[in-house]
Amino acid sequence: MAFGQAKDRRALRLFFATDIHGSDRCFRKFLAAASIYEADALVLGGDIAGKGLVPIRSHNGTLSAEVRGEVVSVPRAEEDRLRAEINRLGFYSVIAGEDDAKRMAGDAAYLNEAFTNAITDQIQGWCRLAEERLPPNVRCIITPGNDDPLAIDPVLKSAPRIECPERELCEIGPVLLASCGDVTPTPWNTEREFPEAELEKRLSAILEPAPPRAKVVANFHNPPYGSGLDYAAELDETLHPVIRGGRPSIIPVGSKAVRAVIKKYQPVVALHGHIHESKAAQRIGKTLCLNPGSEYSADVLRGVIVDLGAARDYNDFLFTSG
Amino acid sequence: MADRTMNRGTGSGGSSSGAPASQGLFTRQSSGLVRELGIPAATGIALASVAVVNTFINFYSGLFNFTKVDMVLPLLLAAGIWLVAMFAYRYLLQAIPRAGGEYIYLSRIIHPAIGTMVGIATAVGFTYTLSANANFAAAYVPFALNSLGAAFNSSALTSAATSIANTTSCGQVTCSPGLAICAVAMLVIVGLGSIFSLRRIAQIILALVIFQVLAFLVLGFLFATHSHQDFVNALGSFSGHATAYNDVIALANKNNIPLGVDLGASLLVIPFMVLNYNGVLYSYYVGGELKRPGSTYIWASVISLVLLIVVWVGVWLLMRNTIGLDFMQAQAQVGGTTDYGSITSLQANAGGLGYGLVLSGDPITKILIGLAVPAAELAVDLAFVAVVTRVIFALAFDRMLPIGLAKISERSQSPINAVILAVAVGILFTIGGSILNIANISANLALFFALVLLAGSVAALALPFRRPDLIKNPATNDVDRVGGIPTAAVWGALSTLCALFTVGVIIAKPSVFGAFSFVSVGSLVVIFFSGPIIYLIVRQRRLASSSIDMNLAMRELPPE
Repeated sequence: MAFGQAKDRRALRLFFATDIHGSDRCFRKFLAAASIYEADALVLGGDIAGKGLVPIRSHNGTLSAEVRGEVVSVPRAEEDRLRAEINRLGFYSVIAGEDDAKRMAGDAAYLNEAFTNAITDQIQGWCRLAEERLPPNVRCIITPGNDDPLAIDPVLKSAPRIECPERELCEIGPVLLASCGDVTPTPWNTEREFPEAELEKRLSAILEPAPPRAKVVANFHNPPYGSGLDYAAELDETLHPVIRGGRPSIIPVGSKAVRAVIKKYQPVVALHGHIHESKAAQRIGKTLCLNPGSEYSADVLRGVIVDLGAARDYNDFLFTSG
Repeated sequence: MADRTMNRGTGSGGSSSGAPASQGLFTRQSSGLVRELGIPAATGIALASVAVVNTFINFYSGLFNFTKVDMVLPLLLAAGIWLVAMFAYRYLLQAIPRAGGEYIYLSRIIHPAIGTMVGIATAVGFTYTLSANANFAAAYVPFALNSLGAAFNSSALTSAATSIANTTSCGQVTCSPGLAICAVAMLVIVGLGSIFSLRRIAQIILALVIFQVLAFLVLGFLFATHSHQDFVNALGSFSGHATAYNDVIALANKNNIPLGVDLGASLLVIPFMVLNYNGVLYSYYVGGELKRPGSTYIWASVISLVLLIVVWVGVWLLMRNTIGLDFMQAQAQVGGTTDYGSITSLQANAGGLGYGLVLSGDPITKILIGLAVPAAELAVDLAFVAVVTRVIFALAFDRMLPIGLAKISERSQSPINAVILAVAVGILFTIGGSILNIANISANLALFFALVLLAGSVAALALPFRRPDLIKNPATNDVDRVGGIPTAAVWGALSTLCALFTVGVIIAKPSVFGAFSFVSVGSLVVIFFSGPIIYLIVRQRRLASSSIDMNLAMRELPPE
């Protein structure tokens, strides 16, 4: 049992996390992971946008909003603190009068615009934070997922400290990273959803240009079908869990296209997200498929450290929960 | 573009989707479901870990082991110790909001080897406790059957009670196969119950806790609505001796047992009462599944503590009034003697439940009293399985135990292999305990629990010095302080002092809290030191084949 015998086999260390859904705290942890886990590159694999928008009411120099199910009122001078508290829950905040709130309730386009503004504002802030905090030798790759509006792509691509190689091959040390946030249709009818056949074409188009002996790492938001990385509760038309035998029915919800592409191209590692509750590691052929899952709502950043060697046959991983 | 309308999709926390604008949260169309445990579920786990009716056992132990003891002050002071510990653990849970308890805190804050030491020890110790609780519940089955027999006028039930309690020679000890079967059966039931999701288990536990509280309320009602003379008369009638009450006190006087109240003696009972509340904070073991960990944990713990104080102090005061302190003290001291047996058949260690049985006239009350202890122990074991499996899960997640033990059932979201392991080892302990003399091995269980509390307190004390980044206040970019000292350290230090006091009293009174023998101390040493050895072996083996040091998985990421 020689101490550190395998240490020299590592040529690149990636830290991969996904599905942080607007959690400011999880993003800060993601940046901190570079030094804590001694990573050469950070990869955030999509679904970074939050899901909720909390209107803050202004009245007589006081701001009030519903936080954690309770109405909280603070002096206007404490606006930043209130917004930070709301954001810590993964929600966005917007100062809104009664008229604004009513309009959001009745005008889908107006609400959509408010969400898009809040999401892009937050991501711009995150890009600045990455610039301030990341060590210069660490690469930071952020790609979108199906819950992210298309409006975030230009924001990510224009950030000097962030790389967003969506639907591209990107060279990181000894590997080529192939990224795609597109998924098969979900009950929520989100953006970036495509039928299986179309998704297979898109994924193949990304991987096809890779040289035959290249060491490819796939960063596909959608997990492969029936891989153990894709178990989720079956939902009915009203988005409520289907109960069978007194228990929620759990079914594979991954993509057959992703599975087919992995089987065909055999990347050394495939990184996935999308299904928060299905943290798992599984091999499909020679490909090590990983989904670290997500616990963003508890402020916990789930991730996976992946070590890759210069030789094609060495890769190792360790799930983290920090 | 996706349709981002209000009132659709899933929101995490706060208002649910479908909220109108006036309720304060808009949600957009996005995927994913969120699992969370709220305050009622966490309170159920905390209360069940305590076992509300077990207080009678601890009342009895205090009265049996010390003379001139009253329980009010020890109950209040012990609650104070847990209150201090509660605030110390709050900082730990806020800094590291995940399942695993002391193992997680110590491995992340002090050192993985220290964390593994306490983690393995709690896994083993709590699994033994599962077995001990099952044995304890089994010992009460005859009492329950007798109560039910009295309620239903069924001689078959009372005969069954006698049959189950029959003893025979088993290996090194005299055992009762009937009771052993009851204990194993209970663990099997617990194992089957633990396959459900934690939320469902918490609901079952809460129902069992409500049943216990109901039994307590009925007892309280009995004590409140009967006079002291009623009890004297009822005991006479129950025992077939009209003067049974005074005879028990006279027997104590004849044996020169001092009766009354002495403050110093009462203070020595505090460790019993600390153990009485043991478990009241255990919702932190499922910290990773709590909705808003810090506040949910505090609310669950405070509600549990206040409820226990009110119920226990209230029942004790009612017992003092209706039964009489002198009688309770005398009965505990002479309850095991032949002379006592010739006066009455009232089981001395049944305490308040026995008094309730004497006073109860209706079958419903008899059923409630009879089933209170089995219900309590079932709830305790369900809660302990939830606790111990989360520790095993955390150890396995960090690769200290086989990774298969961290497997989560897709159906129930519970660590199914960890449940199977805990219940199987619990059954082995139960069977082993019925045919071997393992009393020496587990003699220092009280000390074990106090040491676990001490370990958690030290972690809280060290937190602001070792990992200030985990509790830094973003507004001040520093940890919160009182008089220049980190607040977490203040609570950690106070909790450490309280834990040290408890450990000190336990060590100073081995005749009461567990004698020290080569076997018992050796068992503690083996249990505690197996952890660091496992850590060293597992880490070195991994380093031999992998470039990733497993210690990386134990580094907590700073939140700011």
